[in-house]
Formats: sequence, C-alpha cells, structure tokens
Amino acid sequence: MAIVSIRGLTKRYGANLAVDHMNLDVREGEILGILGPNGAGKSSTLLMLSTIIKPTEGTAEVGGYDIRTNPYKVRELIGIAFQEPKLFWFNTPWQILNWHGKVCGIKNPKQAAERMLKQLNLWEARNKYSHELSGGMKKRVEVAKVMIQRPKIAIVDEPTAQIDVAGKYQIWDMIHKLRDEGSTILLATNELGEADRLSDRVAIVYHGRLRILDTPRNLKDSIPGGDVIDIRTESPIQESILQQMKQIPGVVDFTLVKESHMRLYLNRAEKMLPTIMSRLNELDVSIASINMKEPSLDDVFFHYTGDVLEESDEPDSAPS
Amino acid sequence: MTKILLVIERDLRSLMMQKSILMMRWFYAIVQIGIFGLAISRLVTAMQDYYTYYAMGVIVMTMYSVAIFTGYEIYDEADEGYTEYLLSIPLTRQELVLGRSLAGGIRSMVFMAPIIAGFMLLIGIVDPVRVAIALVALFGFTFGVSGLSITLAVGLRSGDKFDIIMGALDAFIVRLSSALYPQAFMPKPIAILSEFNPLTYASDFFRWSLNFNTRFLANPVTALIVLVIFLTTFNVAGVLIYERSLEGGTWR
Repeated sequence: MAIVSIRGLTKRYGANLAVDHMNLDVREGEILGILGPNGAGKSSTLLMLSTIIKPTEGTAEVGGYDIRTNPYKVRELIGIAFQEPKLFWFNTPWQILNWHGKVCGIKNPKQAAERMLKQLNLWEARNKYSHELSGGMKKRVEVAKVMIQRPKIAIVDEPTAQIDVAGKYQIWDMIHKLRDEGSTILLATNELGEADRLSDRVAIVYHGRLRILDTPRNLKDSIPGGDVIDIRTESPIQESILQQMKQIPGVVDFTLVKESHMRLYLNRAEKMLPTIMSRLNELDVSIASINMKEPSLDDVFFHYTGDVLEESDEPDSAPS
Repeated sequence: MTKILLVIERDLRSLMMQKSILMMRWFYAIVQIGIFGLAISRLVTAMQDYYTYYAMGVIVMTMYSVAIFTGYEIYDEADEGYTEYLLSIPLTRQELVLGRSLAGGIRSMVFMAPIIAGFMLLIGIVDPVRVAIALVALFGFTFGVSGLSITLAVGLRSGDKFDIIMGALDAFIVRLSSALYPQAFMPKPIAILSEFNPLTYASDFFRWSLNFNTRFLANPVTALIVLVIFLTTFNVAGVLIYERSLEGGTWR
C-alpha cells in the first residue's frame, strides 16, 4: 500500500528544471533509497513532500493528504533530517531537541532528548551553542530530531555525510530501528553502499526524473550479464571448453583473461553456478579457484544513466 | 495556542542572545531622553512640558525599533537555512506568524520595561489602570510592527532591499509622526501625512493613557481604532504572505 504517491511532480527554478514530472509510490513501512548525484532533484523532491517548497506542477499525497491542499496535515506525518543541519546558532543541542520534541507533540520531550543525546554521544556537548559544534556533531543533532520525533514518514537526506565510520553504523542501525518501529523512510543519498545496505527499494533519480525503481537485488539482476564469474583452472583452457560454457543458458558473454583464467558474464550467477560447475566437471576441467562478483549499484546507476555517480557533481539546483 | 507559545518561547530565547544590539537601543533611548530631551525642551516655549512629551515619544520610537528586529531575524534564519526547518515542523503558518509577532511585541515590552517603569515613576504615574492601558497600547503597537516587519521581510525576500526599505521607513515613520513633535506644529502637508502613520497614534495614545495634556494629542478613540486596524492588517498580511509566497531557499 502506498503511503506516499507522487504524481507528475515538477519543480522549476527559473529556466532550470530540478524535478521533471516525477511519478513514484512509496510503500508503507519500507526504506526507499533515492539515489542520484547532486543536482539530480532528490532534495527538491523531498522538500516538496515536506511542504517546504511548492511544486510548479503536479502533486503528491502523503498519508492520504495532498501536499498542496493539506500541508499542515502532511507536516504532522513527516519528520525531516536535512542534508545541511538546520540549527540556529544561539541554540544548544539540548534546547534544539527539547523544543523539537515539544513542537512535534512527543511525550516526555526532555527524557527523549536526554536518551537520544546520550545514544549519539552528544551528551557532553548538550549545552554548547550550535556554532561551536563540529560538522559531524551538527549532523548527528539533525538526525536526532527525526529519531526522537518517530514520524510516520521520516525523510533523511544524506544522513551520514560528514560522519565518521563508527557514527555511520550507529545511524544506519537507528534508521533500521525507526523502520522496525513503524516509520516509512525516504533516504536520499549519493552513497551507493548506504543505499544498498539500508534500502528495501532504490529509486534512481537523474536530471530530475525517476529512471528506475526496484529492490537492489532486482536492479542488479536487471543488468544483462551484470554478474561475473572468474574461473581459474589448473591447466590451460581449451577453446572447446569456452564454447561449451557459452552454450549454457544465461551466459551472456565470456573472455579468456589468461590461458588458465576465463571470465563469464551472466545473470543470476548464484543460480547458474551449480550448472557451470557440473558442466566443467563433465569436461574434466580441474578448477583452481572460482570467484563470483555481482554488479554494484554503481554498475546499476551507470547502466540506467550512462553516468558514474561519484563523477557527476553538478551544483545542486535545489535549496540546500 | 500551545504551539504559538512554543514559537514565542523560541523567539524570546533569541532576545537573550542579542543583548549587545538591544543594549545599544537602550543606550540610545537613555541618551535621547536624558541629554537631548533635556536640552531641546529648554528651547521649546510654545508647549508646556515638552520634555515629558518628547520622552514618551522616544520610548515608543525605541519600542518600534526593537519590534522591527523580527524581520532581521527572519533574514538571519534564511541565511543559516533555518527557515526550511521552521517550514517543515507541524505548525500552521498562522501559528508561526502570530507566535513571532507576539514574541516581537513581548520582547519590546520586556526590553523596555525598566525604562518605562523608571519613566512612569519619574512622572508620578502609579494608577494601575492607566499603567495597564499604556502597556496594552504599547504591546498592541509593537505586535503590529512585528507583523509589518515579517510581512516586508517575507515579501521582499532580499536582505539588501529590506535594509534599504527599513532604513527609509525608519527615517520617515518617525519624522512624519507626532512621536517627537505635535501635529499642531507641523507644516500642513506633513501633518496630513502623519494622520496615516501608526506611530502618531501609538505615541499619542500612550501619552493619553499616561494622562498627558490632550490638547496636542490625537483623539484616543481614533488612535485605538487605528492601532487595532494596524496590528490586524499586518498580522493577517504576514500570515497570507507566509502561506502564499514563502518557500525554503531562493533568498538573497
């Protein structure tokens, strides 16, 4: 069941089309990763869903409420952790979380703020002004706002940017926990590993448009010949063996890397492996090693956009 | 209502962080009343007790300049990207605007309270009814000024334009009002313009409530009506402009 339905959503900043007739359904209880480079339209889409900016065209329903006609009801359902922390300089983490908790109507905001500050190792810094905090600390305070709010729909925009490795794992765990407690999560990121690790489904957004939406598994499987099996043998590989391998259904292509090393390109390598092993056994080939590699989301991104995620670094046209 | 109180709480906290700027306003009021007012009142012979008249005007003027601060804060927030946060939380735009306007009024009152109290004691006003009327009138005026400030800040969406307009407005709104001199002594065109100036009515109503000679003051009923129209107009305008025009980003 869709808890967020985006229909023809468009945002134009002057001549720049940031979001171009986006259509997308978000299922209740899922973590939907929105993957795309800076300037792809991720933030603009999320800001429209949060009723912070207004669509130029189209609309979206959030929890059954239209973002254009019922923005207040939408805001009651949504909590957002922004890409750039939104902390006013004269506020301390304690004041920020306490006030946020109160305005979002949570019970015992002080208790919740204390628990979250301790959990995110911010307790010692609770009374520092936000301009005295490091970038990573500010980011953790930003994420903490959503965590104490426990909204029906949580939007987290690049939640682990500027955060150290240990902190990343902690925030990923918290995002999972939030989902397990009933929130639907929209995760905007340009980190492939993060999208792969956290998302139930991934939406690839590029130049303001949704290119593809599916589970990470299905996305990887959707690349023809995307899986790779490297087979090293004890003796040189004969041409006849290569031809036999090509006959196996599902093998898209092959190359002879070295005389005793062949590489097969295929789909669903994990399912095909027993067949390949059995055929090699029949051909009396002694195997030295087998290495299986599935495509990454980077490969998926390249397949659907023709671009490499890390290299596409246009300035974000959306307000940050 | 609770949400409005939360907005007020947040805005009042910011007052505590702007002590130096506000202290400058306080210092200005004290110097104007204590030095300039004393000197200039010796020159004025056409009016009895001009010093009291002048001091009351300076108090209202200073409250105006404190209340106008709300607009500048909106630009600070836009600079820091904080506007997006305020627009994302479960508050209606009405709650946000009214909360901020009320906080602007309360801040002005809190900030000027020592000067107002000291002045009232100095001129011997201790009647609680008169004091209450005076304070309510001042609060209503500053509530309206905050609404005006929000409306202009959000409507212009440019810190530079806001600075220029507020500078010009500050210059004209004071000089084209009865804050520092009665309408009876103004050249005719200026007196006519001052009729359309809320500062005229705020100053005169404040003076009337503190029992100043009514000969040189605007009619208190008219003044009260103008103040109510002023605060209503600009707070409604602030709400409308917030709802219709304000979006995150795209500020200059």
